[in-house]
Amino acid sequence: MEKFMIQTKGLTKTFKKKKVVENLDLQIKEGEIYGFLGPNGAGKSTTIRMLLGLARPSSGTIEMFGKNLQDNKSFILKKTGSLVESPSYYGHLTAYENLEVLRRLLEIPKSRIDEVLSIVRLNREAKRPVKGFSLGMKQRLGIAAAMLGNPELLILDEPTNGLDPSGIHEIRELIRSLPKEHGTTVLVSSHLLSEIDLMATQLGIIAKGQLVFQNSIEEIRKKSMSRIGFHVNNPVEVKTLINSSHAVNEEGIVYVDYLADAKVAAMIDVIVSHKYEIYRVQEEKKSLEEIFLTITNGEASL
Amino acid sequence: MIRFLLIDTLKMKKKWVWFLVFLGPAGVVGLEAFNFLLRYEWLTKQYQDDLWGGLIDESRLLAVPALMMGLAIVASILAGIEHQTNSWKQVLALPVSKCSVFTAKFMLLTFLLFISCTCLGIGLICLGMALDFGTKIPFEYLLKISYYPLLAALPFAALHTWLSIVVKNQAIALTCGIVGTILSLYGVIMPDWVPYKWLFLENSWGKFEYSATAGVLTGLLVYLVGLLDFSRRDVL
Ligand SMILES: Nc1ncnc2c1ncn2[C@@H]1O[C@H](COP(=O)(O)OP(=O)(O)O)[C@@H](O)[C@H]1O
Ligand SMILES: [Mg+2]
Repeated sequence: MEKFMIQTKGLTKTFKKKKVVENLDLQIKEGEIYGFLGPNGAGKSTTIRMLLGLARPSSGTIEMFGKNLQDNKSFILKKTGSLVESPSYYGHLTAYENLEVLRRLLEIPKSRIDEVLSIVRLNREAKRPVKGFSLGMKQRLGIAAAMLGNPELLILDEPTNGLDPSGIHEIRELIRSLPKEHGTTVLVSSHLLSEIDLMATQLGIIAKGQLVFQNSIEEIRKKSMSRIGFHVNNPVEVKTLINSSHAVNEEGIVYVDYLADAKVAAMIDVIVSHKYEIYRVQEEKKSLEEIFLTITNGEASL
Repeated sequence: MIRFLLIDTLKMKKKWVWFLVFLGPAGVVGLEAFNFLLRYEWLTKQYQDDLWGGLIDESRLLAVPALMMGLAIVASILAGIEHQTNSWKQVLALPVSKCSVFTAKFMLLTFLLFISCTCLGIGLICLGMALDFGTKIPFEYLLKISYYPLLAALPFAALHTWLSIVVKNQAIALTCGIVGTILSLYGVIMPDWVPYKWLFLENSWGKFEYSATAGVLTGLLVYLVGLLDFSRRDVL
């Protein structure tokens, strides 16, 4: 049995008879960075609100840390840090004071404030009122706030929304370091594929309230989408030689579906032993973009 | 719970709340001073048997609308801190119960109004002294008139705590506050069962305590209903 940090079953939310989230079965494993991808209005924030107990599911169940959310809210929320959409902050207070408000609610030692401020590299700005912060700094403060309680699970809703490229880069690096350095499991949502691609190890795609895909990013790349291309002197004959139903000849390169290393070596052996010349062997990854368009039938404009 | 109160006061740093808390009683005392200075002869004749009592009774008519308006504004500011900073979701995603958050707001509002009422009492003593009403201050009466209206106003305090939290647009809560203040002006002529009347501690039995008790009980009920609704609501 694999251990799930978050597991939902048939999670549904209805607003005025419209199903905004429908029958979601999320499975998020411990230590993963789960990318929750979907176009605007797909239902990401609504799902996340339900995971944080901010909204009640219309039906379905949520289990986190192996316990039912409804009955163990405070136990679960104690181990969970969150940043939902735009960051929350008291503009007239300094960064330090903002965290102090939350620290008192969480009842944790004062020293933790300096720790999280240095994790998001805001310790130099700690004494400045937050209203003078750039959006990126505010967002980092939001992440610091989310991490204040030393959470085992971090839920971040579009943490890079509205940031400039360097801000995005910073947040991304920060998120990527979390599982390694702090053992945190992360659920991060985004409407940008490119972003999730660079951060996540697991992926869930939601479109129109439904989960249309859920698997590890590696898996999907490996299994269905990458292919091996052989540059050879006589592609037509090599293609017949390989005699695989999936071999194709595209612009003078013979492509076969993804193969493990040993099989590639064997195939090279066959080609060479028939006195064909191999100039180059390459693995070609289809961009995730293409992959997802296939998965979602081009429906979800990501 | 004390923890929650302290946290809310921390958030209030550099906010208008404290100013308002003192402005209310200062305004009432100021207007009353004006009233007595303008009509000194007439009023002192009117109340010649009981100058202190006269001063306290006169101020009551101003204090009630001031209390009603102040209550609406302060409730709105307290909830507005979270609305403006978008932080309801942040606070409620912490391992804190919605119940304690709601209760803290209600208690803080009540506490601030308590301070206002105290200031009003002290202000009236100063004014009476300045007007040379002597040192026979009717402390018991003054205490009742200072604090009973607050108890009678608890249903409105609970209502506004709920309204300001649940409806993001604070114009709604403030409009209700203004309407309530105007209605309270006619409280004296309303039937006994109308909460607006309790504010003036008037009832057919002539017992201040009845009005105050009705306020506390109804206030508790409104608070519970508000709490129940708030805890069932989705946070936006
Ligand atoms: N409180 C609400 N009442 C009615 N509809 C809502 C509410 N909140 C969200 N929605 C609708 O639910 C859909 C999903 O919204 P959301 O979860 O915010 O999407 P995402 O975060 O993926 O962009 C949208 O169509 C939105 O209009
Ligand atoms: Mg969203």
